[in-house]
Amino acid sequence: MRGLQILIDGFAISSLYGIGALGFTLLFGVCGVLNLAHGGIILVAGLFGWWFASEYGIGPYGGAAIGILAGLIASYITYFLVVRPIQRSRAIPKSEEEIFVLTGTLLWGVMIQDGMDYLFSNNPVTMQPLLPGVINLFGVRTPRNELLIAGICWAVIGLLYLLVNHTRIGKQLLAAAINPRGLTLLGFQLSRIYLVVWTIYGLLAGLAGVLLASFFGVSSDNAGNLTASAFTIVILGGLGSVSGSLIAAYVVGYAETLTAYLLAPTLRPIPALLILILVLYIRPRGFLGRR
Amino acid sequence: MMLATAPTLDVSGLTKRFGGLIAVKEIGFTIAPGEILGLIGPNGSGKSTVMKLIMGIERPDAGTVKLAGTDIAGWPTHRIARQGVGMVFQHSRPLPRQTVLENIKLALLPDSLFRLAAEPHVDHRAREIAERVGLGAVMHRRPPTLPFADLRRLEMAKALARNPKVVLVDEPFAGLTSGEVAVFSELIEGFRREGHAVLLVDHNVKSVAAMVDRVLAMYLGQRIAEGTAEEVMRDETVRRVYIGGKIEAHPRKELDNKGGEALLDVRGVDVFYGKARALQEVSLHVNTGEFVSVVGLNGAGKTTLFNAISGLVPFAGDIHWSGNSLNGRDPARIAREGIVQCPETRELFGDMSVRENLDLGGQHLPRAHREEQLNWLLDLFPILRERQHQQAVTLSGGEQQMLAIARALMMRPKLLILDEPTLGLAPVILEQLSNALGRLRETTPITVLLGEQNVTFALPHADRVYVLEHARVVWEGDPERFAAEMGAGYL
Amino acid sequence: MTLLRRPGPWIGLLLVLLAATAPGWLGAYYLGVLSTAYYFGVFAMSWDLLFGFAGEVNFGPTFMIGTGAYAAGLMNNAGFGIPLCIAGGAAAAVVGGLILALPALRLRGPYFGLVTLVAVLLLLDCIVIFAGVTGGEIGMMVPSILSVSAVTNYWYAFGFLAISAVILFGLSRSSLGLILQATGQDRIGAAALGFNVTKHKLAAFCISALFSGVAGAMITFYEGIASVDTVVSLALTVQIVIAVVFGGRRTIVGAIIGGIFLILFNELLRPLGQLNSLVVSGIALVVIIFFPDGALGWMFHSRDES
Repeated sequence: MRGLQILIDGFAISSLYGIGALGFTLLFGVCGVLNLAHGGIILVAGLFGWWFASEYGIGPYGGAAIGILAGLIASYITYFLVVRPIQRSRAIPKSEEEIFVLTGTLLWGVMIQDGMDYLFSNNPVTMQPLLPGVINLFGVRTPRNELLIAGICWAVIGLLYLLVNHTRIGKQLLAAAINPRGLTLLGFQLSRIYLVVWTIYGLLAGLAGVLLASFFGVSSDNAGNLTASAFTIVILGGLGSVSGSLIAAYVVGYAETLTAYLLAPTLRPIPALLILILVLYIRPRGFLGRR
Repeated sequence: MMLATAPTLDVSGLTKRFGGLIAVKEIGFTIAPGEILGLIGPNGSGKSTVMKLIMGIERPDAGTVKLAGTDIAGWPTHRIARQGVGMVFQHSRPLPRQTVLENIKLALLPDSLFRLAAEPHVDHRAREIAERVGLGAVMHRRPPTLPFADLRRLEMAKALARNPKVVLVDEPFAGLTSGEVAVFSELIEGFRREGHAVLLVDHNVKSVAAMVDRVLAMYLGQRIAEGTAEEVMRDETVRRVYIGGKIEAHPRKELDNKGGEALLDVRGVDVFYGKARALQEVSLHVNTGEFVSVVGLNGAGKTTLFNAISGLVPFAGDIHWSGNSLNGRDPARIAREGIVQCPETRELFGDMSVRENLDLGGQHLPRAHREEQLNWLLDLFPILRERQHQQAVTLSGGEQQMLAIARALMMRPKLLILDEPTLGLAPVILEQLSNALGRLRETTPITVLLGEQNVTFALPHADRVYVLEHARVVWEGDPERFAAEMGAGYL
Repeated sequence: MTLLRRPGPWIGLLLVLLAATAPGWLGAYYLGVLSTAYYFGVFAMSWDLLFGFAGEVNFGPTFMIGTGAYAAGLMNNAGFGIPLCIAGGAAAAVVGGLILALPALRLRGPYFGLVTLVAVLLLLDCIVIFAGVTGGEIGMMVPSILSVSAVTNYWYAFGFLAISAVILFGLSRSSLGLILQATGQDRIGAAALGFNVTKHKLAAFCISALFSGVAGAMITFYEGIASVDTVVSLALTVQIVIAVVFGGRRTIVGAIIGGIFLILFNELLRPLGQLNSLVVSGIALVVIIFFPDGALGWMFHSRDES
């Protein structure tokens, strides 16, 4: 029974990790931005979702909608007030832009965390489940909410796949990831494409935040760890590779679940970090990364 | 006396592969003390790779590099440098917060963790070197405040400071004015007088001809000629690589655009890369329906000119398009307004299929026109129809070039800019490409601005020709007159 | 001559004078704040040596600081005296620095940044997992302390800062500093001048780790406790980054001033409570966007007039 339980729990957790890392990898792949405020944005979505759902009594779905909106707004603020000013600054040489974006988003992430801490304290909070109740799945008592969350994650992944591979804007995103200069020469405005990516990113991070709040709960203390695990998954999968990130999400998700069940819950974060260091030494470009 | 005749640098069988591509194939040469060898070849010929292999920046797959008898092939760069090889980089990155003098001192320091202060003679020697390369007046300034030529002097000073047995100089005169070229030639002559062996790496013979004792010409990774500058310039293979075969011109039958208004009008355009001058007072125009060729060797400024027109690099001067100024306009908008560039780097979306590449080019067109345009292009380039579902990276060089042109044409450009379409292509492919251009010119009213080093390719279709040399337009006229007036002096 | 015309050195001299006479006119509380600020200044200087000079995006300075602090604490609990513990902490930190340096030789930019971040997270996890020995999130008490007198503690901190500053500033202006900057700026160019880039990078990591480790060990004996918050947490890393950004990268001196300024600023903003860190980070963000060379850096590095 325990094996099955690990299988089910691991699947749900991994799906959630996948959604959390997807936006991050998309942002890097298309815009070349490593957003160290990622955890902060997830946090904003989760906390606002929880707050509206419980304090204003608009229920978990209303709360989730508000949370996703909050994530989107946080994403726009990150882009317009932090990342874009750094990219456009004449005082920052191009060769140092990457370092400045890393440092800038790191500081912005800290600001978000402090702000959330101030507004909601650092007590962990859990949003009401989107779907209450428990069902018996091959003898394992599984919360319906857990299954719903895994389902939502896969639905969104499917939607994103359709968007990227079967729509005009999706093709533009792909092309921008491969060769932005080529796209400019074809008359496409990169700034417009970047705005689209930051929108998708905000929605994905927002969704990850509210699902996380409903599944595990969130606390303002999590921001750093959330960024680190998304970063870990994305590097494991290969920077910019969406399918690589999904595979890595499952590797990390199951490694953590196995450790938690078989060894000790406190050791949970260790295997992912060890796998990461191993992969970086042996194959620095990750599972499916190029270069 | 023995030493004077033994070569300082003896390279043989040098080979380097990048994946499946052979970048350098069995290159060998010697340079004696006090001798200057020119290593020339067009972009992508492997000449820079040879230089990197000697310096240890890349590891050779085979071959030897003997420096005064010691084989240094495959050594790490710092050991090769200490053994006596110095390099003058084309793009320098000096320490911005230190003065010129301190930058020179850096090159005089020993590779030691424990010698914390420079020895007293270092300061004296650094000043001497600064004076010698002509930096005496600015030795206390910081590099970001210096003009480009002085930054090149600083690179020269750093190489000089190491007192190397062999000096490798990458594109010695790129970005310099003719006055500065004279000064730098004198500096390089100085290396010779002191008995250093010098390797000058450049695109073409002409710019180094006055200095070199011998020239080695490379193309597609291999040696194609060796001898004195005159011999190499007269060499049939070299002429074929740089100029193509016999020069022909086909004036278009009906030229109904005589006196037509200028579609594109470039007036007195200057472009600087940082401090290096890439274009100087360039003026040219293209009338509606014309096919204009800009010929010039690599590094003459063709790509810079096209990038200025496409809005990809900032420029001074005026560029007018159908009467409106393009200054400061966004590149994407310029492309949508009808100036479509097919760059020498092609800029394909490698992981996407041929069809997807073409579709992206056609996204701005109304749906009905899109199909029509696509079918017309697949008829023009039948090979692309066969390869429709193949990934762009898997195409051969010639097919990729056709795809790049077709993708640009999908946008129904009013003006098609073709930058160096023949780069790295085999002669057979050139003919196919040339035929396609011929058909394009005969069957459509398209306006084309073509940039080429290969004159034979550029001339047959051209209505008018400009020659770009050293960042300036030096000749303008009909293709028929080109052979008589420019043919001999071009290389 | 030109040196004396700039305001920087004069302000610096004034600050040194103020600091050297502080025990005469400051109360114990503020001496304590300054002592912490001085140790923090050493953290920031060590980081600037790696980031500003060697060009390594090291998000794990606290890996070296924490290793030094906890190693010293463990030795002290095992019965060794303070000087030996500090030496031991320094040695452990240098080993930690070399462990960090290994990936730096293979990986670039963001990859290296991430590995250093992960190294810190692993250290944090280890401290929590082995809470029995390390005290976990509460911290590890040490039996010995430097002194009970605020004034004596102040002198220890001030002396340590002064010695570190002289050595690190001297190194930064020495041949080694020049070569380090050259390797950070352009690896290939430096190698082509005959410098063994690997050797110099390793040296930079060792030096940075040495000072970080000693500072970590000393702050442990100053506070009587090694805790995650003071020597390991990511928040400390962020503060170090902020200090160096404030003071101006590649200056060493700027890092000290930035560090002290930051601690005093935190003190000043204490009434804001939790919002304190938010305001500081916000100001740092504004600084990096609008004054990437540092808000204080300009005083010490006036640009060329021409």
